[in-house]
Amino acid sequence: MSDMMLEIDDLHVAVDGKEILKGITLSIPAGEVHAVMGPNGSGKSTLSYTLAGREGYEVTRGQILYHGEDLTQLAPEERAAKGMFLALQYPVEIPGVVTMTFLKTALNAQRRARGESELDALKVLKLVREKAKALKIGEEMLKRALNAGFSGGEKKRLEILQMAVFEPKMAILDETDSGLDIDALKLVAEGVNALRAPDRAMLVITHYQRLLSFIVPDRVHVLAGGRIVKSGGADLALELEAGGYERILEDA
Amino acid sequence: MTALAIKQALEPDLFQEDFAVHAAGLPGAGLAWLDKRRAEAIKAFASTGIPTRRVEAWKYTDLSASIAETLAPAVRMREPATTAGAFAEIPGARLVFTGGFLHAVHGSESGVETVDLSTIDSNTPGWVNDHFGLLAAGSEQPLGAASFALMRSGVAVRVRAPNAALHLDFINPFRRGDFVSHSRVLIVIEEGASLRLMESHTGEGTDQTLANLGIELVLMPSAKLEHVRLQAEAPSVRHVTSIGARLGRGAEYRALYAALGAHLSRLDVRIRLEGEGAQANLRNITAPRAGIADITTVMDHASPHTTSRQLFKSVVGGTGRAVNQGRVLVREGAVKSDSHQLFKSLLLSPRAECDAKPELEIFADDVICGHGTAIGALDDGALFYLRSRGIPEPEAKELLIRAFMEDAIGDFVDPAIHGAIWRRLDGALNVVGQTET
Repeated sequence: MSDMMLEIDDLHVAVDGKEILKGITLSIPAGEVHAVMGPNGSGKSTLSYTLAGREGYEVTRGQILYHGEDLTQLAPEERAAKGMFLALQYPVEIPGVVTMTFLKTALNAQRRARGESELDALKVLKLVREKAKALKIGEEMLKRALNAGFSGGEKKRLEILQMAVFEPKMAILDETDSGLDIDALKLVAEGVNALRAPDRAMLVITHYQRLLSFIVPDRVHVLAGGRIVKSGGADLALELEAGGYERILEDA
Repeated sequence: MTALAIKQALEPDLFQEDFAVHAAGLPGAGLAWLDKRRAEAIKAFASTGIPTRRVEAWKYTDLSASIAETLAPAVRMREPATTAGAFAEIPGARLVFTGGFLHAVHGSESGVETVDLSTIDSNTPGWVNDHFGLLAAGSEQPLGAASFALMRSGVAVRVRAPNAALHLDFINPFRRGDFVSHSRVLIVIEEGASLRLMESHTGEGTDQTLANLGIELVLMPSAKLEHVRLQAEAPSVRHVTSIGARLGRGAEYRALYAALGAHLSRLDVRIRLEGEGAQANLRNITAPRAGIADITTVMDHASPHTTSRQLFKSVVGGTGRAVNQGRVLVREGAVKSDSHQLFKSLLLSPRAECDAKPELEIFADDVICGHGTAIGALDDGALFYLRSRGIPEPEAKELLIRAFMEDAIGDFVDPAIHGAIWRRLDGALNVVGQTET
């Protein structure tokens, strides 16, 4: 079995008939954290939604292998059950669903799909409390409706809490740094770093280098115009920060 | 005009005919004050008759077309009701009605008096004739007017103590034949008193009954009424309730209305915020899959510093139709009135329909009035979010539909009421969410 967690090969994706991703090739081995950086409109969110299986993101060419298995035919919930996780840039507010209830429903849905036994309310509560503490998420927040009226920082912390509770194998973080002040950013980064593990891979999608000072990636890829135009080590992020996207794009 | 329309315009309808033939035999006939109010009410009713769509307030709900057959007046039934009301486990005195008639009284509450309106006579206490028939009996609520003019059953309640609790369990047992019941409820809450009123309508069978109920709510200064109402009639039934409320200074009316049954239901509400600082807070939920669930309200701000809130939510599936109409009227001098109404509907099928009509009429300065309407399908973003966390699509949809309703109920009632409402709502949402076959 390959130790490659995710292999994206010549991926073309169209939204409403318009091609957004124009041939992305990218492989992430287990245990590594890769970053995808790019200017607005480069296709960053399209990449994350495509990996998570959102409707309307049509793979027109190429393939996505996850643990060697073709992902493209799987529904979002099937991908989640197999260990994929996408932390959204804009987590959706759902008034009327208590956060704790949602966590239990989602965790047990994943476990059920994997043929594991469901956890009772008490066990879930214990698990969530333990993970929530490190992210400074109090009991009160878990009793509120899912993301409803949460601040930007609270929403992002809750995304990371979900990641900690679900323990995915492949985590994609879509602009998790957007809208965060420096303290919130550090808290979120610590949460992410705590989840780095040899059997887990992460893809961190961001516009700014800032987040990558806290979550230091093994590899950095620059996305522009729907293609990866440059790849390198963690230094590439600093280079981008210093020279901006324009210089890199010119070089490429 | 079509031939049918001409016929309708020329001939007295079912209810006027009933009045012409039976007025002298109605409960309390011969009491001068009651005869006078009844005569006024039947006249008010006659100005529209059974409303067609040409009556503006009824343009989305054609009651006239729905009552094509002749309906005999409901009579008192002998057999006891077998089903329990929807809020059975919650404490409070319990009045059980079958076919609109007061059938049994269980328990009592201190400071609460009740009068069976089917036996109204010259011995009836004075507070009944002080109030009875003055609300929900005018031409703007024609069915309310008919329910008063043709009243054969019902109850009058007077509350003089705080924290009273009362159940009104209307049960429509199965019977042969199609009936119309004209019933009335009068609730008078004296100054400083408070009541929790739990009203439920449940039924079985397949008859084409029309339940026509008129409710008068009189809130004296500083009186409080919490009103929870569940209409869960059998699908074959038509149900119209007209509520007329009058709120004195500092009085508070808080209501959760749920219409989950009947193939045609109409809740016609007129609230007059009469005294300074009076407050009304209404929530309404409906979930039609076939037929119509209509709520139409008029919120009348008649005094300064009055507050009203209205949140109506509908989940519509199949060929169902939700009608949400609300008119807010701020009268001259009613300064610092504060009103908001929000109507939200979720359409689950291509043939589901919602008619929403919020209206504002303002004749005072320095007021805050807001309204909003949202009609749409389930949110794609929310659905994807839940699925991306491992929740399968059918379950995610169910969760979102329930969340949509919970948003209107969760923070509004205590856990016992919440549980009782959800026991009925769950079933209704399971049905409304089914894919059309």
